[in-house]
Amino acid sequence: MIADEAEMASMMAAAQKGDAGMYRALLAEVQLWLERYYRKRVAPAQLDDLVQEVMLAVHHKRATWDPSRAFYPWLAAIARYRWVDHLRKVYRSAEDELGDHDAPEDSEEEAVMARMSLERLFVHLPEKQVEVIELVKIEGLSIAEASAKTGQSESLVKVNIHRGLKKLSALVEKAE
Amino acid sequence: MNRVPSSLIDELASDLAPVQPLRLWQGVALVAFAAVATVLLVELLDGLWHGAFTGQASPEFFITNGMLALLGAAASFAVVKMASPRVGNSHEGARWSALMLAILPVTALVMLGISGFFGTVTSDMYGVDCFLAGSAFGLVTAGALTLWLRRGAPVSLNAAGTYTGIAAGAIGSFTYGLACPVDHIGHLGIWHVAPVVLSAIIGRFAIPPLVRW
Repeated sequence: MIADEAEMASMMAAAQKGDAGMYRALLAEVQLWLERYYRKRVAPAQLDDLVQEVMLAVHHKRATWDPSRAFYPWLAAIARYRWVDHLRKVYRSAEDELGDHDAPEDSEEEAVMARMSLERLFVHLPEKQVEVIELVKIEGLSIAEASAKTGQSESLVKVNIHRGLKKLSALVEKAE
Repeated sequence: MNRVPSSLIDELASDLAPVQPLRLWQGVALVAFAAVATVLLVELLDGLWHGAFTGQASPEFFITNGMLALLGAAASFAVVKMASPRVGNSHEGARWSALMLAILPVTALVMLGISGFFGTVTSDMYGVDCFLAGSAFGLVTAGALTLWLRRGAPVSLNAAGTYTGIAAGAIGSFTYGLACPVDHIGHLGIWHVAPVVLSAIIGRFAIPPLVRW
């Protein structure tokens, strides 16, 4: 089970003061949380890279967490920011399939996770944009394949991906 | 599922050093310092309009500069908060304040009519000076907010850039407005609002590359 908000906040506050033991424990929890957070929205082969990238960001930007605020919304904002960045950059290779690699749900965390999940970002996008982002940026189809599958023209697929990613990046902090 | 190697965790833990958390009040103090420094700069370079404090100024003078100051404060506060990422950050105060400022040019348009509005724009001999000076004095605030964002971790870069521009334009125009004795709505509602629009556009495109992380 992943540590709750109070435990994470307490570990992070200790880490900001230089407690390496607490920091190690915190990073292990952060890693678990990120793996769950991204599990349906990142191809398995890219998951580790993205998790590492976020952990490095957490390390370099640890001073930006205010101990008087909650920890998870801070972590989720960084995770979303890096994810949108990742969607812009990465093109998944054809052999990476999105399988059923979900970790079991932890019911105590569900409410918090749901508020800050990546799905929350997608509900603000038109269905056509979500569809092509999922097909091209997550499942790794080509523009032509996505066009054939969705019935959208190739140029419309490109436009919808561009507009969708732009909107996602504007929603990183807002959507909850 | 593959796991992130624990060597990364060990490496990050061994690199750990104590840090001072970024506090909201520090950002607010930085902007307040920038605003006061800008007022002093205006006094040094142009001289404040002392008539404003001896009952010579019109109500429009106080309303316009008050709205600009409030917008500058609201937009600055939004930017300061953006340096600490958080799901649930909203910037409604700054958004509504910006909309509120639009009342000024609309009032000028209603009061002067379309031909009078454009006539004022083209014939106001001090208009361009106020526009350029207000925009230029905003650079002090823009610099302070950009430094703050670079210390932080903004996750909404375009919004951070736009609000930085709005804050800079509003505070720059407010501070220069304290030196400007032209206090009718045809001048204030156009030329003292225009720096906010220009700075917002410049901020939207110039700031994100400077604060990306």
